[in-house]
Amino acid sequence: MFSTLTSLLVTTTQGAPSNFWLPKQASTVAESVDLTFFVITWISYFFFFAITAALIIFMIKYRRKGPEIVVQGPTHNTILEIAWTVLPLLLVAVIFVVGMRGYLNLMEAPEGSYDVQVTGQKWSWTFEHPKYGATQVAQLTVPVNTPVRLLMTSNDVLHSVWIPDFRVKMDVIPGRYTSLWFEATAVGDYSLACSEYCGKDHSKMFATVRVVPIDEFEPLMVKLASEYEDMNVGQLPAYAINRLYNRCQSCHSLDGTTGTGPSFKGLWDRVSKGDIEFTSGEKLSSLLGEATTYGLPENYIRTSIVDPQKHIVQGYLGSMPSFQGQLKDKQITAMIEMFKHLSELTDAEGNITVNPDGTPRQ
Amino acid sequence: MSNTDSTHHDDQVGHIVPIKFLVLICCILLFLTVVTVWVSRYDFTEINIAEMGILMALFVATVKATIVGLYFMHLRWDRPFIGFIFVSSILFVVLFIGMALTDSMAYQPSIIKGDTPKVTEAMDKLAH
Amino acid sequence: MTTLTTPNPTDNYLNHTTGIRSWLFTLDHKRIGVMYLICVLLAFLLAGVFAMMIRFQLLTPEGTFLTQDQYNQAFTVHGAIMVFLVIIPAVPAALGNFVLPIMLGAKDVAFPKLNLFSWYLWIFGLVFFLIALGAGGIDTGWTFYTPYSIDKASSMGGVIPALIGAFILGFSSIFTGMNFIVTIHRLRPKGMTWFKMPLFLWATYATAIIQVLATPVIGITLLLLIVERSVGIGIFDPAMGGDPVLYQHFFWFYSHPAVYIMILPAMGVVSELISVHSHRHIFGYKFIAYSSIAIAMFGFLVWGHHMFTSGQSPLMNIIFSLITFSVSIPSGVKIFNWLATLYKGSISLNTSMIYALSFIFIFSIGGLTGLHLATLATDIHLHDSYFVVAHFHYVMMGSSLIGFLGGIHHWWPKMTGKMYNENWGRISATLVFIGFNVTFFSQFMLGSKGMPRRYATYDAFPNADLFQVYHIWSTVGSTILALGFVICAVYLLHSVFKGKKAPANPWGGRSLEWQCTSPPPWDNFADQPEVGDCYDYSVLEWNEEEQGYVWKKDAVHPGE
Repeated sequence: MFSTLTSLLVTTTQGAPSNFWLPKQASTVAESVDLTFFVITWISYFFFFAITAALIIFMIKYRRKGPEIVVQGPTHNTILEIAWTVLPLLLVAVIFVVGMRGYLNLMEAPEGSYDVQVTGQKWSWTFEHPKYGATQVAQLTVPVNTPVRLLMTSNDVLHSVWIPDFRVKMDVIPGRYTSLWFEATAVGDYSLACSEYCGKDHSKMFATVRVVPIDEFEPLMVKLASEYEDMNVGQLPAYAINRLYNRCQSCHSLDGTTGTGPSFKGLWDRVSKGDIEFTSGEKLSSLLGEATTYGLPENYIRTSIVDPQKHIVQGYLGSMPSFQGQLKDKQITAMIEMFKHLSELTDAEGNITVNPDGTPRQ
Repeated sequence: MSNTDSTHHDDQVGHIVPIKFLVLICCILLFLTVVTVWVSRYDFTEINIAEMGILMALFVATVKATIVGLYFMHLRWDRPFIGFIFVSSILFVVLFIGMALTDSMAYQPSIIKGDTPKVTEAMDKLAH
Repeated sequence: MTTLTTPNPTDNYLNHTTGIRSWLFTLDHKRIGVMYLICVLLAFLLAGVFAMMIRFQLLTPEGTFLTQDQYNQAFTVHGAIMVFLVIIPAVPAALGNFVLPIMLGAKDVAFPKLNLFSWYLWIFGLVFFLIALGAGGIDTGWTFYTPYSIDKASSMGGVIPALIGAFILGFSSIFTGMNFIVTIHRLRPKGMTWFKMPLFLWATYATAIIQVLATPVIGITLLLLIVERSVGIGIFDPAMGGDPVLYQHFFWFYSHPAVYIMILPAMGVVSELISVHSHRHIFGYKFIAYSSIAIAMFGFLVWGHHMFTSGQSPLMNIIFSLITFSVSIPSGVKIFNWLATLYKGSISLNTSMIYALSFIFIFSIGGLTGLHLATLATDIHLHDSYFVVAHFHYVMMGSSLIGFLGGIHHWWPKMTGKMYNENWGRISATLVFIGFNVTFFSQFMLGSKGMPRRYATYDAFPNADLFQVYHIWSTVGSTILALGFVICAVYLLHSVFKGKKAPANPWGGRSLEWQCTSPPPWDNFADQPEVGDCYDYSVLEWNEEEQGYVWKKDAVHPGE
């Protein structure tokens, strides 16, 4: 009871633990946001208790003594009216200024922030570290005491990134970039929750922000970026579908639905048989085999990733961008292996059933 | 019987607009509509003001709205206060559109450039 | 000369004509008000059932009571029905329709047929919502944010019927507003200048202005959304080059003034309740009247505060935050004036007064937590969390709805001619007060601690166990609240059949509705009454035989 009371009185020192109102502070801005919160809360306590006290006292003291009572009393008092208009106005002006200052701080990322690209889509978060070429899904690893800037967009509907312990939030909008920044002050794991309703699994659209010591960060990223380097061929499909497929997701489904591009479901079957017609009128079968353009079906796939305009599948508009330079050779090999083993990696509705390390996903 | 309020004398039966006059106004409006459609199809690049089409269309629309307000809505023959109320509601429109557009323009730099696949598809369909 | 009217006191608006057609085709504002009241309360019951489903789902972190899709539908339908079918029409259409013309000493509103049409539009709106439920349901949230509400593949099939329903309901609201504006301008009696009107009428007038000015914007927004979803014009859909944030501007330009449509009439009711039930002249009449108009006007300038994290530009955010603070001031002015009215009053703690006092307590909390949300730095953290859910339930439910209930109890004797059981009334009002606070106060902490809104499950959070404690409190509170409502329904219904006959003026009010019989005659007043100061109770005295208040024998009537 007493600790609840003291936590009501609260502390706004850096790194304060969680209290009655707010979670623990884990970022540099959390302290000033919390200070603003408590200024407002204390002003609110004052007015709330004053109003409630007046209510209770009047209720008791001026209780009706009998139906024949007639009362008179003041009906207006201009000075009082002005006082209780002007004084609250001054108070809220103060609150506004404090809030605005804190807000401007939240909006401007410091120079030289570490950039992370975030893509939200129903219902997962993908984090790309352009500096290292590493991709993470559902987890964001960042170094402690370093300003980090998230550049975000959505693949489908509105989402929102909220990291309560950091006190940051920004909507993620399709067709547009939004950003937020933070500087984590303590090593640990923090929740990142989607906070703009986005459909069925909105409440499952979670990520963990893992803050690691600065000297551990770079080695982790380098390892992540080249995690496929040490994999054998059998491990590549699980890696590809978890780490690479998200780039293809907006146009190529896993469940058979035709999108901007053909579905990946059953694709390898069709490709290996050459059962694809192009807008030029040619059939893939005539381009496979000895002494042909592609030779092996694997080569066709490789070409359609780095030079998609070369042969456009009949019925599509050829709007696929090239991934030349974005994917290393071994990553493309991983994609090819993914196609070959797709039925082991997904279920009937197109959900991914395997983790990046090959273990089944629950 | 309805009450008369304390500040106002009931109007007598209002000013009646002759049918012929209303038909004339209707013809004028139809003519202006034809003008608008013509403007939308005419290629203005020769006159060197590319937005001429939009400017003309907006100008014509304003003229039409004024005519409708003055004559069809009877504001020409009503107390000025009624017209004032009508015009002041425009303030709210300006407020709304103004703020929304200002905001829109402010975040233009963060919009991802280029047409989306759906837009490209739609444009291609139009072109064929 | 005040007129207790009609020579035959047993003939009143309820029994003047009989048969279902005399009700469905009535032009009598009192009957229309009663029909609205029944319909709004039934819609409240329906939306309340969905609310209980939400609360039961959230008892456990894994939430196994409903599927995710069912939960998403539950909160969408709860919100849509409560906003469009219940709270917006509640005080203006159900109470205002009945009381307003009588308060003006008029026979009816300015446009009785339009009034009936408004009611039919409400019914059509309801029909479309029911069609929406049958046509696949809706799960977009009552805010219908794009692109989720445009995507036929992800959102459910009932969206377009629901949008049509909301569009129709908008017109119901607009016509009611138009009717009230003209009635107040044109049908005031001799002696009732603007500053002699009861404050309920000032509040209704301010509300009507908002209804007429703002509602067409939601109309066009919903229409554009329907076209976007069916034909794909590309205004809000980024896949077609549109702007989803523009939709939010369109939507909130109406929906923020809409919340003032919800609260202003309830505040008007509270002004009446506080004054009448403390038997004391209202304090600061002019300031309360002006504050209603100020809230109505300022309310149009602040819609962007719903969009602080939506990608709205920082410049706009700062402007909207600044102006939002200004709206809090007139509301504060009202609270202080009501407290000053209680000071040196003679307070009867009957059911209506308990509701009025609850309003002051709850609205204070609701308004003060609005400060947290108006402040940019804190709103970044609190937006789209349970803190917001708690805040708006405090102002919409704890204030608007409680004001509505207070008004129902205050004018119940006038409307039905029967007195309800005062003791059960007090018990029910207390249960509602306690239940409400237990339900929603814990949601403030839930939100500020990190739980987002519109979450079917919360087991993904490491501190799900802490959240669960708050959720359990909330659900327990909701059952207390439900119990309070059930008791209220029972004794009110009971009073209709078995209640004591009500006198013309059971509470000692001075406004004109207390000078006709309970229930009023068909035509309200035989002769146009004259008015004096509608908050001067010194002319009234208690009559033991009638169990009500009557004019003192030696009191001077206005106009004499």
